[in-house]
Amino acid sequence: MNLLDIRNLSIELDTPNGQILAVDKVSLSIKEGEVRGLVGESGSGKSLLAQAIIGVLNDKWHVHADRFHWRGIDLLRLSIAERKALLCRDIAMIFQEPMSCLDPTTLIGAQLNEAIDPSQFTGYFWQRNKQRKSAVVKLLHKVGIKNHSECINSYPHQLTEAICQRVMIAIALAGRPILLIADEPTAAMESTNQGQIYRLLANLNQLKNMSILLISHDLENLTHWTKTITVMYSGQFVEAGTTSQIFNKPMHPYTRALVDSSTRANLQLPSKSRLMTLPGSIPILQHLPIGCRLGPRCPRAQQNCVEAPRVSSYHGHKVSCHFPILHDTVRKNEIKRNVVKEKV
Amino acid sequence: MTSLLEVRDIEKSFKIKGYWYHKKKFNALAPVSFTIEANKTLAIVGEAGSGKSTLAKILVGAEPPNSGNIFLNGQKLQNNHFKQRCQHIRMIFQDSGTTLNPSLTIQELLDEPLRLNTRLNEIKRRKLIRTTLQKVGLLGDHMNFYPHMFSGGQKQRISLARAIILEPQVIILDEALAALDPSLRSQIINLLLDLQQQMGLAYILISHNLGIVRHFSDDVMVMSQGHVVEKGKTTDVMRNPQHKVTQKLMMSQNFQFK
Repeated sequence: MNLLDIRNLSIELDTPNGQILAVDKVSLSIKEGEVRGLVGESGSGKSLLAQAIIGVLNDKWHVHADRFHWRGIDLLRLSIAERKALLCRDIAMIFQEPMSCLDPTTLIGAQLNEAIDPSQFTGYFWQRNKQRKSAVVKLLHKVGIKNHSECINSYPHQLTEAICQRVMIAIALAGRPILLIADEPTAAMESTNQGQIYRLLANLNQLKNMSILLISHDLENLTHWTKTITVMYSGQFVEAGTTSQIFNKPMHPYTRALVDSSTRANLQLPSKSRLMTLPGSIPILQHLPIGCRLGPRCPRAQQNCVEAPRVSSYHGHKVSCHFPILHDTVRKNEIKRNVVKEKV
Repeated sequence: MTSLLEVRDIEKSFKIKGYWYHKKKFNALAPVSFTIEANKTLAIVGEAGSGKSTLAKILVGAEPPNSGNIFLNGQKLQNNHFKQRCQHIRMIFQDSGTTLNPSLTIQELLDEPLRLNTRLNEIKRRKLIRTTLQKVGLLGDHMNFYPHMFSGGQKQRISLARAIILEPQVIILDEALAALDPSLRSQIINLLLDLQQQMGLAYILISHNLGIVRHFSDDVMVMSQGHVVEKGKTTDVMRNPQHKVTQKLMMSQNFQFK
């Protein structure tokens, strides 16, 4: 069963010059126990989408969706209080730059203590304090911090970035979430620490069967850790499929360019040769192109591209493009289907 | 034949403040020496605190070394002779958004190094700014814009223009590609490679993305805690990493070079 099922979610921003469609009809579904990657460059609306899921956008942003279900419950019909209670229990989020997200004036122990759900305790009230303390220590052990007493008694600035991110994950785990949303958890982090954090998340996924939505701007970092990937560009849905489908047989020109421009995917390329790139730069929010927003930069663009393309699915590999790059097997099927249509 | 840039036994240590008995010395950089030729790229990889940024600062002259010498074309660079140094060795930083002065237009930004280091008159300077902007893939008319009007990739192009406007011989890229989006990053890599061919630049690339290092550099130097632990041709080092630190770095990025 799908944990989270979002169909055609749009997010609009009120500005003095009218409304801007920042996220345009994006679909996303997460199954139980799945690690899904959400890839997009800056300004692609991936963080907005995550914020819309947990409902922390302010009044300027308007969220519409055809379907927005969490474990079969329609979130759009619930009142704000009901929705908050539901999502607080089931979803947790960790942010980039852990140092700036933790309270700099409070000890780590107190911040963890605050996050612990009191309903898990049994016993008398005078036992509570002790139970809380042991729960804090347990959480820290869970995320792989061994010298817990030192960590509890220090402020965020005294710890390294990787430890801070672990503490953030511990705080997120305190509510025993079913879905963890990780918004660029390893941005601006050393590569060895990045590996540690990703490994920790992968462990949690396997041991606790926790689903993870991993958001990142870099396709090549994610491929090792995710089962399925959704790609976004400039607020539009681009492509979704399993990691190998996306990385080995990308259908959308944008994904193709991302994979081609990655230096790690093209190790056979002679060094110092030119990399494949898309011309131009990412459009800013005030000047979005109509139709397919990749249009002006796309090498395969044609006249139809001024209309937004529909999502088509090839064996679970969804792509939103008028002229997808079809591989041989897919193309044969496509031809067959057309032949059948003509006969009918 | 003398090489373009030769670094001989550069050493740097910082004093840690403390009580009388607790005064300590922190060795940021053990004696390091290397050479670079024109048209070549040297990559420096290593973890945080391995001394790679200290090395970059010493090379551009932002910090004096405790001992050791730097030779450019066989000529010794003085520690406090900035005019000589900043003409030949330039640096690009990681976050181009914060390294450009927001209150100056692009023309004023690029004019500064020219006014301080050359004797060109205003018309010639203006012309040079225009051609340099075109070289990095922007328009000449962009020089009346302010930095906030540009996107991240374009800002990085401007800092590149500021680096090449004095026609240097060595450019130091301190994580200059890390903060960019993937599609813009490959654009900048292409641009840097083109400029290297046109102007015969030597690059010193400080990065922890091994994919870029593999693609971009000829030689690589792996540093750990101020020491150079491995040095050699990039392909050789990556095919057959000898030192533990190198192996660990490659493991952590799931990097396999076939």
